[in-house]
Amino acid sequence: MTSDSVGWGKVGAAGPRILVAELDLGPRAFAPSIALGVISIGMPSYGRVTVETAASLSQCIDCARRVDYDLVVVDESLGAEAEEIVARLRSGAASLVVLQRTPSDAAALAWFRRGAAEVVLADRDLAALRHAAREQIERVRAARAGGASRDGVSAADGILRHLGSAVVLVDAAGEITFANPAAEQILGSSMIDLHGKPLRAFLAEQVGEIQLASALAGVEATPGIETRVRRGDGSFVPIALSCGPVFGTDGRPGGVVAAFRDLSDAQEWRAHVLQTEKMASIGQLAAGVAHEINNPMGFIHANLFQMTEYVADLRQIWNRAEVLLKAIDAEDPDTVRAAGADLSEVAAELDVGFVLQDLAKAIRESQEGSERIRHIVQDLRDFSHQDTGERVLADLNQCLDSTANIVWPMMKHIVVLSKNYGDLPPVPCYPMQIKQVFMNLLVNAYQAIEEAVAKRAHPGAIGTVTLTTSAHDGGVLVEIADTGTGIAPDHVDRIFDPFFTTKKVGAGTGLGLSTSFNIIRKHGGTMRVESALGRGTAFRIHLPLLGEEIGSEPR
Amino acid sequence: MNEAGRPVVLVVDDEPRILSALMRALRREGYELLTAESPHEALRVAEEHAIDCVLSDHRMPGMTGLELLERIAARRPNAARLLFTGWNTEIPVSELTRLGVRRVLSKPWKDAELKQELRAAVSDAGAGHPS
Repeated sequence: MTSDSVGWGKVGAAGPRILVAELDLGPRAFAPSIALGVISIGMPSYGRVTVETAASLSQCIDCARRVDYDLVVVDESLGAEAEEIVARLRSGAASLVVLQRTPSDAAALAWFRRGAAEVVLADRDLAALRHAAREQIERVRAARAGGASRDGVSAADGILRHLGSAVVLVDAAGEITFANPAAEQILGSSMIDLHGKPLRAFLAEQVGEIQLASALAGVEATPGIETRVRRGDGSFVPIALSCGPVFGTDGRPGGVVAAFRDLSDAQEWRAHVLQTEKMASIGQLAAGVAHEINNPMGFIHANLFQMTEYVADLRQIWNRAEVLLKAIDAEDPDTVRAAGADLSEVAAELDVGFVLQDLAKAIRESQEGSERIRHIVQDLRDFSHQDTGERVLADLNQCLDSTANIVWPMMKHIVVLSKNYGDLPPVPCYPMQIKQVFMNLLVNAYQAIEEAVAKRAHPGAIGTVTLTTSAHDGGVLVEIADTGTGIAPDHVDRIFDPFFTTKKVGAGTGLGLSTSFNIIRKHGGTMRVESALGRGTAFRIHLPLLGEEIGSEPR
Repeated sequence: MNEAGRPVVLVVDDEPRILSALMRALRREGYELLTAESPHEALRVAEEHAIDCVLSDHRMPGMTGLELLERIAARRPNAARLLFTGWNTEIPVSELTRLGVRRVLSKPWKDAELKQELRAAVSDAGAGHPS
């Protein structure tokens, strides 16, 4: 490899840069690089031209990593390496010109197919090459000038280069053929290294692989998902990914366009918002939870008091028993008789049989009470946890049930909870986020019933919250239905909008349902609502079992 | 009063362990103790027994303690009414006054205070004071 500029002294920073991949034939050979040294004569407006040479694929790649070339000339005499160079550099910004050594239309066509912008036959003084090089440099420069792009292709090039979102093209085999700079950044590798690698290797999670596989199979319009990429250095980047199939001229799927965005910042912010919301809902529930802890506290407290009395009773018995034992030791029959009578009298008076029995019962009940407190605290602690950044397989019945346990104390005086849990396969998800959704829906259900109950005149009116789960269409269906006030028809379309609320000021942020909706969508699921004013509302959540689909055909 | 001249006290809570602890605490107080685990059961018991005092939890499924006391008062106007709750702030004072609730005891309760309140309530009710 050489990076000297050939015969042109100092390199003008803004001047065109050319890389020539050619056989190293020694200093006196008439190499293409020498021929190109003079092309700036015809194009003074671009400043001084820098020409570098590379004699092998690896040198070429090294140079391309360091420098943004406007033009790469590949000498066909490099053989198989020439093909590889074109393949690896085709999606870069540089224009590729192949110098053909023997005339062949078929070979030229093959070069165009591989990605060459121009194929030039070597003539005596390589004038044709110089001409083509000037043309290509002008084209690339124009494209780089942005708005001044001359044709649709260079406009698209510019857009892809400057797009904040990552765009990756893969071929029918799932191997990367193009990655724009944003993609290079997220994947942590340059295009040169990415080329030919399976995109799948970067997808850290099954959901991402499935997304890609569906698009490869020609499935259109799969909804975007959130997942993570695993970079070469082992680090992870959260992304929003959508894949679309590209069809060949024969109408068969020929590859995929994968577009993704770095979600690191968004995710951090969202985690923060989510956690804040969750803590807020715990605040809302605090009174109910306090009540729920107060009940066992109440009877444990009372039992402890009573148990102290029982111990005092038993002590009285023991005092009598000691007197009796001493009398037996003294072998004084009268005292023994008297002490024995005293003992049985006190035992009968205190109902010692009952005391012993009830003491055991009081201990048992208090133990059960403290166990209940432990459970409540555990549920609360589970709920206030944050998810790790990874999807895990979770039992949604358990998620729903433990969340309902937390809300239950708040609602139990006016709500009958009906649980119809079906057998569910484990669902890959972020369980804490799913619990947050359940919490939002349960609190809403409770509030709807509370409002409905308040409107009814007679006491004793209560509502029902029905929790139904079932395995369903390759996914899981969770329904939370209430017999509350229902949602006004002109509000139904807006309930998932951020900040939309019908609650009193201070009673709700208006974010609960929109957050919930986003969480479910992020899981690749759907959330639907059905409501009748005055009769109640049902929310239906469908979450896909992505884990199962991976083994089968994605269509 | 029952036939043996002992005051009849009805204790209502949807939490059976609370009832159990209350029975334990009041065992030697000389009452005939009746328990109900729901407001509806309490109404049935109040229908069948001439109760002198009712002590009810407030937050229960189906009916609040306050609503229950109101309905019992309709049938047994002389029975003293006590409410206890782990959630004091939710009960409007005007309602307490209107229904002649003697006292709201908070959970967890103090044994001595509970016994004292009950004694006072029962003796007032027994003396025929309208409550």
